[in-house]
Amino acid sequence: MAAALEACARGSQVTVIDEAALPGGQIYRQAQPALNGIDHAEPAELARKHALLDQFANIAGQVDYRAGATAYALFANGELHVATGDATEVLRPDAIVLATGVRELALPFPGWTLPGVMFAGGAQAILKSQRVLPGRAMVIGGCGPLPVVVAAQMIRAGATVAALANLHPLGAMLRTPAGLWHGRRIVLEGLRYAATVLRARVPRLNGFVPIRAIGSDQLEAVVLARVDDQGRPVDGTKREVACDVLAVNYGFVANSELAAMAGARMRRDPVAGGWLPEVDGFGRSSVPKLFVAGDGGGLRGALVAECEGRIVGAAAAAPLRADGDAALSTELADLLQERRRHLEFQKVVRRTLRLPAALWRIARDDTVVCRCESVSLAEVCSALDNGQSSLNAIKRNVRAGMGWCGGRICLPAVAALTELRSGSPPATMMTPRPMARPVSFAALARRQTAGMP
Amino acid sequence: MSTVQADILIVGAGAYGLSCAWWMAKRRSGARIVVVDEGEFASGASGRNGAGFRMQWGLELNIRLCQESVAFFETAAEQLDYPRGIELKQDGYLVLAHSDKALAALDASLEVQHRHGVPSELLSAEDCIRMVPSLGRERLVGGTFCGKDGSVSPFRLLDGLLRACRRENVEIRYGTRIEGLKKRGSTFRALTRDGVIEAERVLLCTDWAVPQLTGPLGIDVPVNSLPKEAIVTVPCAPRIRPILISLEHHISVNQVDRGSIIFVVSRPREGTTLESTPDFLGFAAPKIVDLLPGVADVPVLRTWGGVSSLTPDMQPILGETEVEGLYVAVSSFRGLMTSPAVGRIMSALVLDGDTNDPVLAKLGPRRFATGDLIMEPLLNQA
Repeated sequence: MAAALEACARGSQVTVIDEAALPGGQIYRQAQPALNGIDHAEPAELARKHALLDQFANIAGQVDYRAGATAYALFANGELHVATGDATEVLRPDAIVLATGVRELALPFPGWTLPGVMFAGGAQAILKSQRVLPGRAMVIGGCGPLPVVVAAQMIRAGATVAALANLHPLGAMLRTPAGLWHGRRIVLEGLRYAATVLRARVPRLNGFVPIRAIGSDQLEAVVLARVDDQGRPVDGTKREVACDVLAVNYGFVANSELAAMAGARMRRDPVAGGWLPEVDGFGRSSVPKLFVAGDGGGLRGALVAECEGRIVGAAAAAPLRADGDAALSTELADLLQERRRHLEFQKVVRRTLRLPAALWRIARDDTVVCRCESVSLAEVCSALDNGQSSLNAIKRNVRAGMGWCGGRICLPAVAALTELRSGSPPATMMTPRPMARPVSFAALARRQTAGMP
Repeated sequence: MSTVQADILIVGAGAYGLSCAWWMAKRRSGARIVVVDEGEFASGASGRNGAGFRMQWGLELNIRLCQESVAFFETAAEQLDYPRGIELKQDGYLVLAHSDKALAALDASLEVQHRHGVPSELLSAEDCIRMVPSLGRERLVGGTFCGKDGSVSPFRLLDGLLRACRRENVEIRYGTRIEGLKKRGSTFRALTRDGVIEAERVLLCTDWAVPQLTGPLGIDVPVNSLPKEAIVTVPCAPRIRPILISLEHHISVNQVDRGSIIFVVSRPREGTTLESTPDFLGFAAPKIVDLLPGVADVPVLRTWGGVSSLTPDMQPILGETEVEGLYVAVSSFRGLMTSPAVGRIMSALVLDGDTNDPVLAKLGPRRFATGDLIMEPLLNQA
């Protein structure tokens, strides 16, 4: 939205492709219009949300906003292939800004595929868009700030949080006051969420992680245990908590497939979202005309996303100048300064998202790693022992990453297991190919040629 | 720089390369066999094709190669000591004709097929649609069907061969490209980034890329690259039992047991790129909906590219080149389905100079110089 606003303000004709039914993405996700109920986010967060949504609504007449549209392929020649409903279209814009955000990182553990086990952000999305609670008695766990936020919002919506397990105590963030100062506004919101959790007397288990989900065909209880520095469960610390939902977040994975499909140069940073397109300060990737803004270029949070969206939107709308970026830097000085401040705070957040290596071995040999193709941890390890050490070769050998989700869920785990087994992570990501999302033959055959405005 | 000594160097760890290596290791236990591949596991044409096999050909030699190979596929799990199996699917292969001329060509091939015991039959358009209700009726005139044809998983076959080769002490090196090949005396020296491999005999199984190695030696092996692209759908309810091939559409279709439907589409194109091309889906989707209106609703999961080989007479090239000790095995777009028979034949030829197999007399690399080309009546490359 921010990139569209800025590009639009500079006179560009803007088309926005959005997979969702309403603008907002994950952080500013809107409820279906017919639903009543209140948003349990902090007032300051809601104010930001509505300010941006209102601004975006104000340019509704000027931008071509396409809800429920899927960008399923992006090629090095600058063609963006988009499916809407039962037809497809090829767009050839002068510039493309990818603002595809992140998805949650899946860390397999025994029982993680039971109904009732979900991502913390997924639980939050259900609450935000459908205004319903995913469960009554919830255990929330993982690392970073999201579990606390989700716990507070669930409590405010009426759920019971039976336990909140956080791998890294968030109090440790207080040890870097300089970084915190840069994020004081958002820290304040975080403290209010924490206060909600405290008032509800939620049992808090610092240093604990879920090591097993129990249930026959539905989640009934979770076994939590304290883990040591390397991520190994400590003997004698196990405790079982009854619940009907386990919401977990271990951090995020960037939705960088489209950039990679277009041939953008990539780098790997597991804490910031895995494989990330290399970009400069204005979001330019190594592919001409292709820009990246926000978490899709590496985890940096909603505040960075909004101000970076403006920076990248402006850069994408600006013609390339012979004198380089000097004029752009001057013009965008305030936004660039604001982003620097937010990024200082993000360094503090990063520390709470580090995953010790042995956490990936909480899964047992028979734990499914790739859900789509039902590939167990033992099978992945067998491929590694058979000499396959690239994600492509492992995929061909055991089918992990070949299924419906295209590896979006399992590949971080396969990469982590590769690193555990061989000492070094895979050198490249799995070759990203069309489709970024499944599209029917009928829609592919029904090609619209109307094109851009 | 290290020097590795080998009796046999095989270049290419696809279906031909690994099958040849395995047959050689079984034939001559103790032989030092090294297989190099510039890619990784299943990264070439053997891991990118439609994985179908059929005995429905118009030439005796193709029928024989495939018959022997099908017999191997049926018992591969035991022969390779590979309990996981190769996902053999034997629900038949339906070759479709959308013109009377195409149907006549199919019909004409039945006689030679029957003479060799291939249980193939002529079907009317109605028969075809009864067998595959998803098919479009328009222009469909009929086809031929053989119930013993089918498909395997290329990944399982290659993994089975790879593990079996390693058990026989075959050394397989992925990520190893031959930068240059020379013959000094009776020994070949293959230069790689990590060192030199010296071998008494060399077998090239790099298919369309064979000329890259034979060219500098002054040997002309006429092989062209034939790029293709493939589509796999999300798993869906069973609707297409046999494998389909449409000569008019240049499309082959295989719904595998896990429910995904795989389409391999040929179109006239040059090059050796493995990338998916931007205009591919726009080209392929209308053809697929025309051929099979019943799959229009099925979502496409992924596309990929591959390169297969094409020789001037569309037949494999198997044999020794004019440089003594240097052998080639070029599949001409049917590597996976003929790999078991070719592995056996080439192992006998390379290890023992055994030229008894009748296909060798016809498929030798020198036929192009003498003009003894053999044309396959059932011309198609899908």
